Amino acid sequence: MRAFAAGFRLQLRIIRSDPDYFMPLVPVPLFAVAFLAIIEHAGRRDLAEYALMAPVLIALWALSLSASGEIVQGDRWSGTLEPGVASPSSFPAVVLGRVFAVTSVALFAFVEVWIVGRLLFGIPIEIHHPTAFVLTVLASSAAMAGTATIMAALFVLARSARTFQNSLSYPFYVLGGVLVPVSLLPDWLEPLSAGVFLSWSAGLLRDTLQPDAIRDVPLRLGVILGLGVLGFAAGQLLLHRILRRVRTSGELAAA
Amino acid sequence: MTRVAVTLNVMRNAFRAGLADYRAIFTWKSWLAGWYLRVIAQVAFFALIGERLEDDEKTMYLLVGNSIMIAAVVGVFSLNMTTSERGAGTLPLLVASPSSPVVVFSARGAYLAVDGALSALAALAVAGPMFGVSLPWPDVLAVVPLTGLVAVASYCFGTFLAGLVFRFRSVNNLVVVTTHVSLMAACGVNVPLSFYPEPLEWLSRLLPLTNGLLGIRGVFGGADPTTILGDAALEAAVAVAWMTVALATFNRLAARGRRDGSLEFAS
Repeated sequence: MRAFAAGFRLQLRIIRSDPDYFMPLVPVPLFAVAFLAIIEHAGRRDLAEYALMAPVLIALWALSLSASGEIVQGDRWSGTLEPGVASPSSFPAVVLGRVFAVTSVALFAFVEVWIVGRLLFGIPIEIHHPTAFVLTVLASSAAMAGTATIMAALFVLARSARTFQNSLSYPFYVLGGVLVPVSLLPDWLEPLSAGVFLSWSAGLLRDTLQPDAIRDVPLRLGVILGLGVLGFAAGQLLLHRILRRVRTSGELAAA
Repeated sequence: MTRVAVTLNVMRNAFRAGLADYRAIFTWKSWLAGWYLRVIAQVAFFALIGERLEDDEKTMYLLVGNSIMIAAVVGVFSLNMTTSERGAGTLPLLVASPSSPVVVFSARGAYLAVDGALSALAALAVAGPMFGVSLPWPDVLAVVPLTGLVAVASYCFGTFLAGLVFRFRSVNNLVVVTTHVSLMAACGVNVPLSFYPEPLEWLSRLLPLTNGLLGIRGVFGGADPTTILGDAALEAAVAVAWMTVALATFNRLAARGRRDGSLEFAS
């Protein structure tokens, strides 16, 4: 837990000194305009919550992807990976803390879409179930951090991390039902979609904006967190393997 | 060698270096499983909105718009050329060499226009039938050169922007992402231009995707060939205009950075 907290604090300091971390927040209002324009042009204001929540989920995903892509690789380039690995703290826990700090920046996206919806389209975001909303946001951030740990490990192995990052966007937006419900996907894709925490987060977040009672909130929150824990476990395993490999092959510098 | 021959020689070598870069980034397997999968997913992401709206015309509109959008996305990646040179440590050599930086950058990134056009057409060819959108034969052949024009115009626009951000490396990625989403929002990709206020409609006509996409929609909608040719001519004019501005400004901005020491040579 201390390693996680230390990683979280370290990353917050890095974020404060590097405005690049806020970059995925810049296109959020433009995404909101593009999605709301489609809904508005089709005369389907009843789907506004889809258009408003999609840019938030996209920002959450993009921020975690960019952070996870940089964290381990950045440590490697700057020469801080070696002392980090040699220290007695759990290295994956530090990485998880750092990714969690980055995902928390995505919360600003809510403010952005609220402003775009309200000022440009006259569509307010009404949160009918605030407790469920806050819990979903927290669970999704945690799940994102867990999932991003896998990516942090894979980015070390990828031939071109940027290309890899690019390829992990839209396929997951489709599988995650970010803008349209997963029920519209072909049947054979639906089991895959159920394994992507975004699909649970997207559904639950949209439900919190509806006045109707939400069904199975604890179960759905549990699935989001469970998928995040699975992601973290897989990422931890991968990171251990990669670190063992670079130690064995001598790729980890000694001086 | 005459000056023209020297320039052509620089362009040929820069283009070959660009192709070598591309081969280092992608194998055909990683292109298909990584990049192409993302392209199809991007088009499907928007086409599914049409399905959600239960409107076949909307599905077709979104599918065509977002397929052609891929050509613009890849073309605008030419903005990354200066960043990759900086990362590779070759930027100081390029700036110090007697060759014109804009000639080298534009030739080195020209493969992006080819990749953009091919990716967009491949997206249309696969995602179209997936969503039941018919591609009328042989009219659809006219889409090929129009898509090529969109890719070239976007690449010229990206080269111009690369000159602008040459000295401000920290904003490079920001400009790439913002340009992509702005083109998507303003160029008639998802909703007709008439949806936005008139000044924005006129402004979007100056952007690299709008006119070509109108021409392509014209092909699918059975528009008069002269209208389609008019849109194609406008798209070509936009491409020429952006490349002219790029040629006029890029070297000057690089020289200013060299003079006042504001160029950063390392990432």
